Amino acid sequence: MQMVKKYLLWLFVLWFAFLFFMPKPELYYALERELAKQDIKLNESSIEEGVLYLTIRDVKVYVKGIELAKIESIHFFTLLGYSSVELKQVEVDDLLKSKVPKNIEKVFASHNIFSPFSLSLDANGSFGVAKGRLSLVDNNVSVKLVEANDIDTLKPFMKQDEEGWYYEASF
Amino acid sequence: MKHLFKPETRKRGLRFLGVILFVKIIWVLISLVWLPSVDLDEAKKQDSTALYYRVKLTPSEASAPRKETRPTRSSGTINDIRLLAIYHASDITVITVEYKRKTKVLETGESINGFTLEGASNAFARFSKAGKSYQVKLVKNAKQSSTNSTIRDADKDVKKSIDSAPQGEVRDVGDYKIIDRSLFDHYAKNMDDIYKNIGIAEVKKGNNVVGFKVNFVRRNSPFAKLGIKRNDVIKSINGQALTSYAAAMDVYKNMKDVANLSVVILRGKEEMELEYEIN
Repeated sequence: MQMVKKYLLWLFVLWFAFLFFMPKPELYYALERELAKQDIKLNESSIEEGVLYLTIRDVKVYVKGIELAKIESIHFFTLLGYSSVELKQVEVDDLLKSKVPKNIEKVFASHNIFSPFSLSLDANGSFGVAKGRLSLVDNNVSVKLVEANDIDTLKPFMKQDEEGWYYEASF
Repeated sequence: MKHLFKPETRKRGLRFLGVILFVKIIWVLISLVWLPSVDLDEAKKQDSTALYYRVKLTPSEASAPRKETRPTRSSGTINDIRLLAIYHASDITVITVEYKRKTKVLETGESINGFTLEGASNAFARFSKAGKSYQVKLVKNAKQSSTNSTIRDADKDVKKSIDSAPQGEVRDVGDYKIIDRSLFDHYAKNMDDIYKNIGIAEVKKGNNVVGFKVNFVRRNSPFAKLGIKRNDVIKSINGQALTSYAAAMDVYKNMKDVANLSVVILRGKEEMELEYEIN
């Protein structure tokens, strides 16, 4: 038992050191470069780093040089076994208003080690409240509207069953 | 000599520091090898910082920017005004004139280029300016729709006849086309509808966008009537070169208020300028 405790303690030290020394801004810059290959550019006003998180504020999203969205903050959080990304106040450009809700209050995506090939999604905004799942095995995403408010513009892209509106897409 | 710490504690402490150092070294190596140390904008700034200035005294090899070959007309004369149509009603006379490639509808008493419409007969319109009277004859061979080239005597619904062009039409009036404002506004607000009628893709030279190629134009759509054909490359709109998606989007976003459109296209090897008036 003493031996197990000792190994667990060292594992904890290793895990904490791994998170503590993780070069989070540099990882974010690497993400920026990967996105740039797809012609997606993120332009942020500030980067705030913590032991377990990285917050990017006032992000402008450009796709092929066109400013398509403004995000108040993107919050990355990780414990290695559990990671999440939270986008707050996403304001989409008028160009996309027919496809995407104009104001999205929050988008939350999380991943945990017990379900390594999927992401859990939560969002809320003018459209209501949505919950969904992105599967990396099936290469699909399905989002269900738990609460539907203003979804007229979204209806052409959604399906309806007895439980309500949902969105499904493959990638 | 007495030790400050027990040998066991010191050993643990050293191991602890060793682990931390190991993890730190791993991350430093990963950062040095794979991860960028600055963000994209900063990297670009650093790349573009010149250590010296290169001065080239020989004439630039680049060709001078192509000047738009728009016909320039002298302003201020009555000859600039072409009378396209005359409408008579019991209480009002309305004419359609063309001035500087724009068509305008005038009622009695309204002015264009300082010339005030005094009245009109079946064959000419009478203007006045600075106490002088001028006559402008009706253009009989104008390439217009019959509604514009013929004189109408209609006591009722004069205004209605002026707007007789069906909503959302593109009319060919010779060397330029008139796009109905409502049609134009519709496409300026609904980008999706544009893509239902016309397919456009970037044309690149190396990494630079040099224009947008028309891959298809839906038959009988308003876009087909604009004179744009498949394989045309749109180079610029209203003088704004379409050298990026952002430039194209800028043009699109600012379209709502424009009165004229000048589109430079490359058809085969020939560069052409298509002129449109939004009315």
